[in-house]
Amino acid sequence: MKTSAIPDHAIPLSAEEAAAMEQRQIKKHHIAIMLLHWFNALVWVLELTTGLALVSSPHFRVVPLWFTDLVQGLFGPRANLLRAHLVIGFTWVIVFLSYGLFGGKTYLAKEVLQKEIALDQDDLQWLRIRVLGILGRSKEPLPPQGIYNAGQKLFALMVYVMLPIIMFTGLIMAFHWFGTAVVGWAVLIHFASVGVVVCGLIVHVYMGAVFPEEKPAFFSMVTGTVNELFAYSHHFKWWREVKLEDAVWMRQRRNADREDDPVEGVSRPDQNASQPRS
Amino acid sequence: MTRYAMVTDLRKCVACQACTASCNAEWEVPAGYSRTQIKKTPIQGTFPKLLAGNLVAQCAHCDDAPCIPACPSAATYRDSKGIVQVDREACIGCGYCVEACPYDARFINPTLKKVDKCDFCAPRLERGQLPACVTTCPANAKFFGDLDDRSSDVFRMVFTEGAHRRETPEVAVGPNVYYLGRAEQVEMVLANYPPRPSRLPVAGTLWKKMAKPLVIGAVAMTFLGQAAAFFHQLRNGEKEHED
Repeated sequence: MKTSAIPDHAIPLSAEEAAAMEQRQIKKHHIAIMLLHWFNALVWVLELTTGLALVSSPHFRVVPLWFTDLVQGLFGPRANLLRAHLVIGFTWVIVFLSYGLFGGKTYLAKEVLQKEIALDQDDLQWLRIRVLGILGRSKEPLPPQGIYNAGQKLFALMVYVMLPIIMFTGLIMAFHWFGTAVVGWAVLIHFASVGVVVCGLIVHVYMGAVFPEEKPAFFSMVTGTVNELFAYSHHFKWWREVKLEDAVWMRQRRNADREDDPVEGVSRPDQNASQPRS
Repeated sequence: MTRYAMVTDLRKCVACQACTASCNAEWEVPAGYSRTQIKKTPIQGTFPKLLAGNLVAQCAHCDDAPCIPACPSAATYRDSKGIVQVDREACIGCGYCVEACPYDARFINPTLKKVDKCDFCAPRLERGQLPACVTTCPANAKFFGDLDDRSSDVFRMVFTEGAHRRETPEVAVGPNVYYLGRAEQVEMVLANYPPRPSRLPVAGTLWKKMAKPLVIGAVAMTFLGQAAAFFHQLRNGEKEHED
């Protein structure tokens, strides 16, 4: 009944509408994903620290000597440092493998990946305007985005490609798979792919923790929810999808049980917008 | 200070392989590999003026050991007594140091999958014993001692009898394994087996020459970009929502 009333593009909101929407939360992340995210963040801090300190050779070192000395002082030199790097790395691989094993159908299904990491035309436009906007060179409105914006999609895409490479080359080195020559190449690939991810991580951390407009996204990694206003203004396509699902679900529920009061607790911001639209 | 060194007297060595056998037995080196090698040189000259010699090659525990910076995990290091050691627990068996050694004194132990080489029998030294090859040599051609100890055999051989290092002007990394003998004999033997220039495998070279500067550059550029955005944000003030 109300599906047609949900706007197909973001329309300006009145102050009351915006205030009301800001009070309502939409669920964005499953608890398993939030735990994985912070586990992953911790692993990256520890593995980067130990990994960078392991490479103290002047040929390959990318951090100052005092840093390697400091970390070797914390973890112990040579063998203990490598051991720490390996133990944390194995834990990381095992946790991710279990997630892949038990959650793969949910999180790695083709439709999900299509939605979460495949870039469409809107995304490409978004990237252009976003980058120019941050540099203060563009005032164009951003195209509507799905559950993840194009920047997040790019980051996810890179992570999906790089993580298996980093894990696999790590295992090659840890177990001396495929012989000495391959181990020699694995060290290089391990280093280079971590370098690529670190570039992405810098942007990821800035966007998540520092950039003011994305603050609700940062807190959504703790609470699992974002407010509806944020969803509406930053992830319109996703907001619309959620609203359509809600409307369908409500209609089904009304048809099934007429005595039940269907409206309570379910947000309907589109009612005000129904007259001039569609 | 202690500076361990080894001297082989080429006049006495007859290439009997007792040193390699005792070394292999002492350190359980897999068949086909060895920490010490005897490299023979063809006999030169005409009878009765003949010249021959055998080069006993092993890790020379060089002053500027190129294997140390070649190790990505810092498993190779020099200990306080000048011995170039390998921490096997820290070694990943990538083989970079094998390529780096100008004397080809290193190999990847196929059983352990770690690098293996002479360590002057460091565990034996700790027990107050001499290296296995020195005690075994039936011709008494091998000498081991401390170059900082003026009363040692090696001090006398190196500093007064003029024992030679296996070096060329191109590859001079300060090996601490010396060779003693008749001047023309030592010259002939060492000329037959000059050290090769130190090198890294292709992956290591790419890492050092390309991957390292590229990663540093990319990370620095990204960081500076974000820093610029951050200052822009500070200057323009924060607003949580655009609409």
